[in-house]
Amino acid sequence: MDWQALQVSDGPKLRTIYLNQPDMNAFCKNGISTAKYSMWSFLPRYLYLQFSKTANAFFLFISILQQIPGISPTGKYTTLCPLLIILAISAIKEIIEDYNRHLADRLINTKSTVVLRQETWQSIMWEEVKVGDIVKSTDEQLMPADMVLISSSEPHVTCYIATSNLDGETNLKIRQALLETAKMQTEKELSELSGKIECEGPNCHFNSFIGTLHLNDESMIPIGPDQILLRGTQLKNTQWIIGIVIYTGSETKIMQNLVTSPLKRSEVDKVTNVQILLLFLMLLVMSLVSCLGALVWNDKYGENIWYLKNKDSKPSSFGYDLLVFIILYHNLIPISLLVTLEIVKYIQALFINWDEDMHYKEKDLYAMARTSTLNEELGQVKYLFSDKTGTLTCNIMTFKKCSIAGVIYGNQSDTNDDSTENLGQFPSPVTPSFEFNDPTLLMNLENNHPTKEYIVEFLTLLSVCHTVVPERHGKDIIYQASSPDEAALVKGAKKLGFVFKTRMPYSVTIEAMGEEFTFEILNVLEFSSNRKRMSVIVRTPMGKLKLYCKGADTVIYERLSENSLFMQETLVHMEHFAKEGLRTLCIAYADLKELEYQEWLMKYKRASTVMLDRTENLEECYDSIEKEFLLLGATAIEDRLQNGVPETITSLLNANIKIWVLTGDKPETAINIAFACKLLSSQMPRILLNTNSLEATQQAINQNCQDLGTFLGKENDLALIIDGETLNYALDSEIKRKFLSLALSCKAVLCCRVSPLQKAEIVSLVKKHVHAITLAIGDGANDVGMIQTAHVGVGISGNEGMQATNNSDYAIAQFSYLEKLLLVHGVWNYFRVTKCILYCFYKNVVLYVIELWFAFINGFSGQIIYERWCISLYNVIFTSLPPLTLGIFEQCCSQESLLRYPQLYTISQAAEIFSTQVFWFQCVHALIHSFILFWMTSKMLEHDMVLQGGHTTSYLFLGNFIYTYVVVTVCLKAGLDTLSWNKLSHLAIWGSIAIWLVFFTIYSYFWPTIPIAPEMTRQANMVMICPHFWLGFFMIPTACLIQNVMWKLIQNTYKKSFLEEIREMESRRTRDLSAPQVLTKRMEGSLPNSLSSQPCEIVFQDDSVQQNTPYGYSFSQIEGTKITQEELIRCYDTSKNQSKKHSNIDHLDVIYE
Amino acid sequence: MQKTSQSSPSRRPDNTAYKQQQLPACRVQLTASRVLLCFFATGLSCLAMGIVLLLSAKGIQEVEINYTETCADCAALRENADNFDKECSCSIPFNIPQAMQGDVYMFYKLYGFYQNLYQYVLSRSNIQLVGTDVKHTDGCDPFATLNGTPIAPCGAIANSMFNDTIILSYNFNSSEDIKVPMLNQGIAWWTDKYVKFQNPSFNDLPSAFEGTVKPPSWSQPAYELDADTPENNGFTNDAFIVWMRTAAFPTFKKLYRRLHRTQHFTEGLPAGSYSLHITYNFPVTKFHGEKSVVLSTLTWSGGSSLFLGLAYTVTGAVTWLAFFSMMAVYVTMEKRI
Repeated sequence: MDWQALQVSDGPKLRTIYLNQPDMNAFCKNGISTAKYSMWSFLPRYLYLQFSKTANAFFLFISILQQIPGISPTGKYTTLCPLLIILAISAIKEIIEDYNRHLADRLINTKSTVVLRQETWQSIMWEEVKVGDIVKSTDEQLMPADMVLISSSEPHVTCYIATSNLDGETNLKIRQALLETAKMQTEKELSELSGKIECEGPNCHFNSFIGTLHLNDESMIPIGPDQILLRGTQLKNTQWIIGIVIYTGSETKIMQNLVTSPLKRSEVDKVTNVQILLLFLMLLVMSLVSCLGALVWNDKYGENIWYLKNKDSKPSSFGYDLLVFIILYHNLIPISLLVTLEIVKYIQALFINWDEDMHYKEKDLYAMARTSTLNEELGQVKYLFSDKTGTLTCNIMTFKKCSIAGVIYGNQSDTNDDSTENLGQFPSPVTPSFEFNDPTLLMNLENNHPTKEYIVEFLTLLSVCHTVVPERHGKDIIYQASSPDEAALVKGAKKLGFVFKTRMPYSVTIEAMGEEFTFEILNVLEFSSNRKRMSVIVRTPMGKLKLYCKGADTVIYERLSENSLFMQETLVHMEHFAKEGLRTLCIAYADLKELEYQEWLMKYKRASTVMLDRTENLEECYDSIEKEFLLLGATAIEDRLQNGVPETITSLLNANIKIWVLTGDKPETAINIAFACKLLSSQMPRILLNTNSLEATQQAINQNCQDLGTFLGKENDLALIIDGETLNYALDSEIKRKFLSLALSCKAVLCCRVSPLQKAEIVSLVKKHVHAITLAIGDGANDVGMIQTAHVGVGISGNEGMQATNNSDYAIAQFSYLEKLLLVHGVWNYFRVTKCILYCFYKNVVLYVIELWFAFINGFSGQIIYERWCISLYNVIFTSLPPLTLGIFEQCCSQESLLRYPQLYTISQAAEIFSTQVFWFQCVHALIHSFILFWMTSKMLEHDMVLQGGHTTSYLFLGNFIYTYVVVTVCLKAGLDTLSWNKLSHLAIWGSIAIWLVFFTIYSYFWPTIPIAPEMTRQANMVMICPHFWLGFFMIPTACLIQNVMWKLIQNTYKKSFLEEIREMESRRTRDLSAPQVLTKRMEGSLPNSLSSQPCEIVFQDDSVQQNTPYGYSFSQIEGTKITQEELIRCYDTSKNQSKKHSNIDHLDVIYE
Repeated sequence: MQKTSQSSPSRRPDNTAYKQQQLPACRVQLTASRVLLCFFATGLSCLAMGIVLLLSAKGIQEVEINYTETCADCAALRENADNFDKECSCSIPFNIPQAMQGDVYMFYKLYGFYQNLYQYVLSRSNIQLVGTDVKHTDGCDPFATLNGTPIAPCGAIANSMFNDTIILSYNFNSSEDIKVPMLNQGIAWWTDKYVKFQNPSFNDLPSAFEGTVKPPSWSQPAYELDADTPENNGFTNDAFIVWMRTAAFPTFKKLYRRLHRTQHFTEGLPAGSYSLHITYNFPVTKFHGEKSVVLSTLTWSGGSSLFLGLAYTVTGAVTWLAFFSMMAVYVTMEKRI
């Protein structure tokens, strides 16, 4: 794959950037292009693309062949002209599509940013940014290029960035500039900078960077990933930063992670190519048969046909004959098929764009089909790979419920939730998520409820125990936090009247119940994913020492003192929260004795000065005081799902689509969300793969495969959860297959902590080894890889960075629109496209096989039976409309039914209606029709006395009869194929017949005024006054089509398909409102067992399998940065106003002392 | 639909039924009752039409006299191309048992003559035939020129024109033979005679054809095809035009003469004995072909062909058969449910 190729191509090239010497830095431009073509590459690339399609190459070949004088029975330009028209039409379409991509690129390239030029800050466009430029970015802005951070407005020269565009992680990250450059802030200082930066060449690794800064030719200062701001990241909670650009445009890490827009082809397209090949074989066979026929005929009669003066003319060679026949029959392959499909798909794409049901009114965003080649693929998706953050969730955390002292709050709004859980079958109306809203809590607080004390303690803890920084904007307080969970909790407490107001280096002030309290923050016991908790030691306003702690249930419960109350109730409540997919935290506190604390403090000071293994020492030290907790309760935070996600997922699961969630987030969060969106249920056993070596991974996978036994490869009600590191081993070539079969045996798969590259690898693994259509959906730049790798890539639009959208095939604003996109548009388009293709094959076979029948009576001489331009126009005009209406307006059944019975999706998913078998079936039909058409018409005309005056007829007279009947038959066949007739279908079908008759009449009047078609002269007059013509006009098409009708009816009577039943129900609906229950029963019976979820009976020996409901502990906060959270909060004093930030630099020294 | 009135900015599309794919549509449902009804009606009308056609075909009288065998001597003579200038004729007596009422048409019929061969069909010059350029012989190979002089009319079709003379006489009584009056004009399509085929515009025909030679197989040049009627000469000769309309099948009839209804023949051909006098020029045995003369009357639908009538009847019958069998299936299915 391209992804692997990328990794290999990382050359160890070194790059040197000279500061303030723009002439010496010659690197690529910052403008980017995601378009398919450029002005220059258009023609060659387009032609290559077109002629790499078998059919087009074939027609080019025929057009060249026709130029050989005398060889072509159909004239020189009868193929070239339609081909050129067709290429021109699709070229126009391509240009329009690519133009839109260019526009989107321009939107990004022309964003403005501020750069230091000639010692002043100037605003320029992104594409003008050069390597070595000094850029100033302000809050909420996106980085225009990869930069080294020089200085920032914040204390410790830090800044917060959101990297969700790159890796999908939601928590903010901290970057810290080098202290050596921290003070360079003014234009003057900056423009006097001299020196150079040496760093590695452009590569695709987000988390690594090696460079050195030679400042003013002094000592070398190392630069690491902590100083790097990547393009696409967004500055958060930071007033401004200044950075030096090191990589631009296509050399930025984000762009290095992109593969060039691959040219995707749909499965139907591939099958069509195979079928075209089969038609070509059929053409060869027909030509060979004709050649042999010609040999035999010439042998028998050739000597004697004096009227051709054969003696002088040399007998034609076999090869020559073959070419003649290939040209004669070449129209068997429908020349207009590809362009018809392109038009059809283009309009289908427009329908997607126009769909009001996929219109996100809040942002006024419509769905957008960025390519139209994959429309029918939407109807065949079997595996759905979804990103989590921003795709399933809105990326908004809300404090939703809590349990205090054994009383649950915030629960009443969804007491009916449990009942809907069991139903699941039909989507319940979308219930928007509310924030915490339970008056009983406040009532209990005011009315001296027995648990009042606990409530106060609980809320106080929430407003004190955290590392959030408040920022005042007028009256409002905005909380800035590196952890969205904490922000949600503090906000929640604020709503309940416990307002966190001010943070000072060593204290916090809160306003509770109208009074202000100041808590002295003595210590912050940091959060880490190992500890799964964070604590603060405070001195309360009353002077008591307290330790407040919040963390995962497991770690809190083992530290609870024996006196602790409400343990059982809280546990039950947490289980309840977890089932709903809420993220829970346990809240506990401990009273500390002064002496004990002083002792601990000594220990702490020692630990924090140890040089070796400081972290471990610190953690050990923290652990020693975090004990004897008293439980207060638990909080439940909702990582808010987008509207309708659970319903959509249920619906998609019913449509037999497997959903895999690939996320950069941690397993706990992913599991939470999976529960929230009903992808996982509590009865579902979960296989957790979490190892750190190849052997262990191999062993775990083998063990699980063994446990599954015969269930392996079938679909079980299981979930597989694997993390990025393990996945790395699992994707090793040796155990890849085994891992895949394990994953395929599970109903849901969650991959956590995976890199963008791994996402793409997983998708390509499934794509390669499973013969199924994959769809990837994501919103950030970290999803681009998988979006491009999957058969169909869907981007969530409306985000700041447009990377996912720009690389997707379809962009929608909400995950829930996927339902309509797949179940309605996908199914419709699949039916439309396949019907259109099969019909195009059919109509061409019918018309042109007649040439073969005619060859049997004309001595295999290669004579055509129709007029040559009529042949060319058959596809372009007379029968061009029915396939278009089939392809554009056909509806297998109504939108409501498709949404209501997602099972209908399995029809198109299984690709049963478009396979080689169906193709042959259609060909046989066409052969029968052509035979009836030819044989009956020739029998009718054979006795040569059909005109009233006894006038003689000619071969073209026969040809015109047959041609007319073919047009009628073929149009009526389109009518039979049409399941839903609207006025345009009527127009196309009856209109096509009329167009031919009108054209026929006009064309008969060409000669000799217009010097073409002498043999057609006044044919129409004679044909149309011939009674036989009209007698056959009604009879022969009937004779052809009656068998099709019969066939269909027999099928419908004996083996009614599900689709047929739904359709019948629809037509009955007006009379009979109650949908027959028989149907629903039957539906359940006929569907794969996957839909009814029985409890899993497999016995797992592996201890990685969990069967209980997890307590949805989850908390996200950055770890492992140079600055600890404690150091960070110590430098804020929000009691003063905005001005504090600049002075904070001086603060540094205080802390480091 | 209703939303269009709401003036909306940006790229919001008109919310029309068309764009929302909600165009009113009729969902065709192939229910058994509907199809059965349709089958019944189709079968009925086909059967009725078939019977009408069969009956009308019955009223047609047709006589065919094959003279390949009868004139075997002449045929043998024509086998050798060197004997082209030797005359050969034969006469064949035959009987018409029942009077042929109304217009009677005389056709010649050739068996095994492939007028539909690719090389043959191509071998003509429509530009020459429409009279614009008499020397235009493009595409006429292998009969375009003779020793460098263009042939008029050129091409294989013209060269192989049917040139037997057939004279029909009626044995009025045992001693007296009357030549049945026949018309050799009005046998071609009107549009062929007046649009597609035109003589070069000159005062007299021979000079119009100056600078060209006659086709090698012809005994006289194009402007002497009909000695009796001067305007029926050149490219606009009816017999020539008929021949130039190349047949679709290797066995074909072409209209030769039509009865001039005067004297004894105002009602058609009376019953009695007749004879054909044939000047045998056209070689057919070379390509194992045969020739015959066909006399026929015509109805509104043309000549006597049972095929269309039969086809209608059979289609009707099959449709009814299908109707009844499906009915049976349907009824049993209904019962089972």
